[in-house]
Amino acid sequence: MDTINSLFLFSGFLIALSIVASRVSSRIGVPLLVLFLGLGMMAGEEGVLGIEFDDYSLAYLIGHLALAMILLDGGLRTRLKTFRVGLKPALCLATLGVFVTSGLVGLMATWIFDLSWVEGLLVGAIVGSTDAAAVFSMLSGQGVTLNERVGATLEIESGTNDPMAIFLTITLAEVLVSGASGVGHTLMTFVSQFGLGLLVGVGGGWLAAKLLRWLDLASGLYSLLALASGFFIFGLTSAAGGSGFLAIYLAGLMIGNQPGRHLTHILPVHDGLAWLSQIGLFLVLGLLVTPSEMIDYAIPGAVLALGLIFVARPLAVLVSLKPFFNFRWRELGFISWVGLRGAVPIVLAIFPVIAGVENATLYFNVAFFVVLMSLLMQGASLARVARWMRVEVPAGTTPNRRGALGVLPENDYEMFVYKVENEALEDVPIRLLRFPSGALISGLFRKHTMLHAKGSTRLKLGDVICVIGRSEDLPALNRLFNGDATLKRERAFFGTFTLDGEAVMSDVADAYGLTLSAGEQNMTLGEFVSLRVGGHPVVGDDVDWHGFHWVVNAVEGNRVTRVGLRLYH
Amino acid sequence: MILESILPPERTLFGVAGGSKKRVLEFFSTFIAQNTPSLDSQEVFGRLIGRERLGSTGIGNGVAIPHARNPHCKEPIAGFLRLQEPIDFDATDGDPVDLIFVLLVPEEADDAHLSLLAQVAAIMNDSAIRTKLRQAQTQRQLYDTLIEAIRQHDNSAN
Repeated sequence: MDTINSLFLFSGFLIALSIVASRVSSRIGVPLLVLFLGLGMMAGEEGVLGIEFDDYSLAYLIGHLALAMILLDGGLRTRLKTFRVGLKPALCLATLGVFVTSGLVGLMATWIFDLSWVEGLLVGAIVGSTDAAAVFSMLSGQGVTLNERVGATLEIESGTNDPMAIFLTITLAEVLVSGASGVGHTLMTFVSQFGLGLLVGVGGGWLAAKLLRWLDLASGLYSLLALASGFFIFGLTSAAGGSGFLAIYLAGLMIGNQPGRHLTHILPVHDGLAWLSQIGLFLVLGLLVTPSEMIDYAIPGAVLALGLIFVARPLAVLVSLKPFFNFRWRELGFISWVGLRGAVPIVLAIFPVIAGVENATLYFNVAFFVVLMSLLMQGASLARVARWMRVEVPAGTTPNRRGALGVLPENDYEMFVYKVENEALEDVPIRLLRFPSGALISGLFRKHTMLHAKGSTRLKLGDVICVIGRSEDLPALNRLFNGDATLKRERAFFGTFTLDGEAVMSDVADAYGLTLSAGEQNMTLGEFVSLRVGGHPVVGDDVDWHGFHWVVNAVEGNRVTRVGLRLYH
Repeated sequence: MILESILPPERTLFGVAGGSKKRVLEFFSTFIAQNTPSLDSQEVFGRLIGRERLGSTGIGNGVAIPHARNPHCKEPIAGFLRLQEPIDFDATDGDPVDLIFVLLVPEEADDAHLSLLAQVAAIMNDSAIRTKLRQAQTQRQLYDTLIEAIRQHDNSAN
C-alpha cells in the first residue's frame, strides 16, 4: 500500500510543481525542459527528496509512451500545406542530416573518450536527432514567428528524424552485443523500418481520420479514440518491423489534416497529453540520472556538445540542404542553431543499458550532458538568434480565441473573439465597419457586461467582440482589428508600398525606370520574384534589385500574390 | 534633394472635393498642369493611374502616396491634398483615404528620387503628424504643419 501511496504523492507533487514552475521559466529565461530535468534531479537520489529510481526498463517504457504521444501531437498540428516548402528539405535533414551528424559526432566521441569505432558511432547515433517539440513551444512562448520555409523544415524534420537515429542506435548496439551482421540484413532493416512506418502510418492514419469523422461520439471520446488508434498503429508497425515513431507521427498528420468538428475536441486534449508527456518524461530522466556520476563526464561531454553544436550540426545542415535547395545563408545558420536535442537522445541512451552493452553508463551520462548543454545554449537563445538571423516574419493580429461552433459537421462556422485595440475603430458605429459579408457580430462586451450590439452601437477601445464566421473571413477580420502598431511593424518589414503579384514586369519597370532583360518583359511580378528567390517562395522572402527591397507579402500555393516594395534610406 | 523645396505653399490643397480615386487623381492632374506649364494633364493622369494599376499606393491609416515618373518633369514635383471626405482608395488596410501626397519625378529616375519617396513615406507613417494634418483648420495651417513635419524629419534623419 505504501508504494502506491508514495507513487501518487510524489508523481502528483512533482507534476504539479513542474506546471507551476513553468510559469516562472519564461521570466528567468531557463528553458522549460531544463527546468523539468532539474526538478527531477532535485527529487532524485542525490537531491532534496532522495527518491531512489534506477529502473531503466520502466524509464524506457515511459520514454516510448511519452515520445509516441509527443509525436502524435506534433503530427496533429503539422499542416499538410507546409509540405509545399518543408517536406523535401526536412526529409533530407531527417535521413542524410542525421547520418552526417551521427557520423561526425561519432568520430569526435571515438577520439574524446578513446572508444572503439563502433562505440563512438553509437554515441553519435544516440544524439543524432533533434527535438523540435521543444523548439516550437519555446519559439511561440517568446513570440517569434518564423518564415514558412524555415518553420516548416524544422517542424517536419523533428517529426521525421527520430526513426533514423533509432535505426542507427539499434543497429550499432546489436553489432556491439552480438557482433557484426551482414550489410544485406542491415539494409533490409532500414527498408522495413521506413517502408512499413510510412505505409502503416499513412494508411492507418487515413482510416482513423475517416472513422473519427464518421462516428458520432460523446465529445470526450474523440481524443481518446485518436490516441488509441495512434497507439495501435505504433504497435502494429513496430510488431511488423517498421518504425512506430514514424508511423504515429504520420497517423497524427493524417488525422490532423482531415477537417471536421472532431478536431476541436481532439487538439486541446492532445495538447495537454503532449505537455504531460514532456513533463513526465523529463522528470523521470532527471530522476534516473545520478548527478555525481555525470560530473565525471562533464568536461569531455561539454567538448562533445560544443562539437555537435558548432561543427557537426552546421556541416550536416550544409551537406543536406545547400546543394539541393534554395536556402539563404542566414536560414541555414538558423536551422543549424535549432539542432536542439531533447528527450530522444536520453531515451535512446537507455537502450544500450537494457541491451547489456559494455560501458552503458557512459552513453547515458554523455547523452544526458549533451542534451543539457544543447537545451541551455541553443534553447535559451532561440528568439534572439531568430531575430539576429532575420528569419522572422511579422505576426499579424489573430483572434484572441477561436473555436468551432459544432453545428455543421463539415466546414463549420467558428467563433472568433477579438479585443478592440485599433485606435482607428474608436467611436466607429458597427454598421460602418468593413465587415466580411458572411460574418456576424454576435456579442459585444464592455466592462464585463454584454451589450446588445446594433448597427448604431459605437465601439470603444478595450471592447471584446465575438464574431461568428468562417475561416475564409479571417484575413479580412484580422485586417479590421489590426492595431496601428501591427500595421507599422508590417510596413517596416514588407515596405510601404504593395504591388500586385499579377502586375506585368514591363509596367513595373516603366513606373520605376528599371531595366529588364528580354525574357523578363512579359513575366508577372510574382513570377519574376519567385524566379529570383529560386522557386517555392514563402512570405518574407526578399530580393535586392534596382535599389529596392522586393519582399514577398502574400502567397497562394507557389504563386506570389502580393509583393512589398521596401525603400532603403 | 530637399523635400521642402519641391512643395511650395500653392501646391498644398485644403478641403479638396473627393468623390473617387479617379476623380481626385484627375483633379490633381488638371491642377498640376495649370501650375506647371510643361506638364500635360492627360499624361500625368495616365501615369498616376498606370502606377495604381500595379497596386494601390494607399499605404494605410488613410494615407495615399501616388507617384510616377514623367518625361516633361525637369525637377521633382510634390503636391499635397487633404480631402473633405475620405474616399475609397483600395488601400492595404482597406480604410478610406483623406491625406494624399503626390510625387512626380523626372524620367531619369535615380536614388535621389527613391530617397524622396522614402522620406514622404516616413513622414506619413507618423501618427502624430497625421493627426495634426487632419486637425489643420486652414490651408496655411496645413502647409505649416507639413513643412514643420518635413523639417523635423530631416533633423531626426541627419
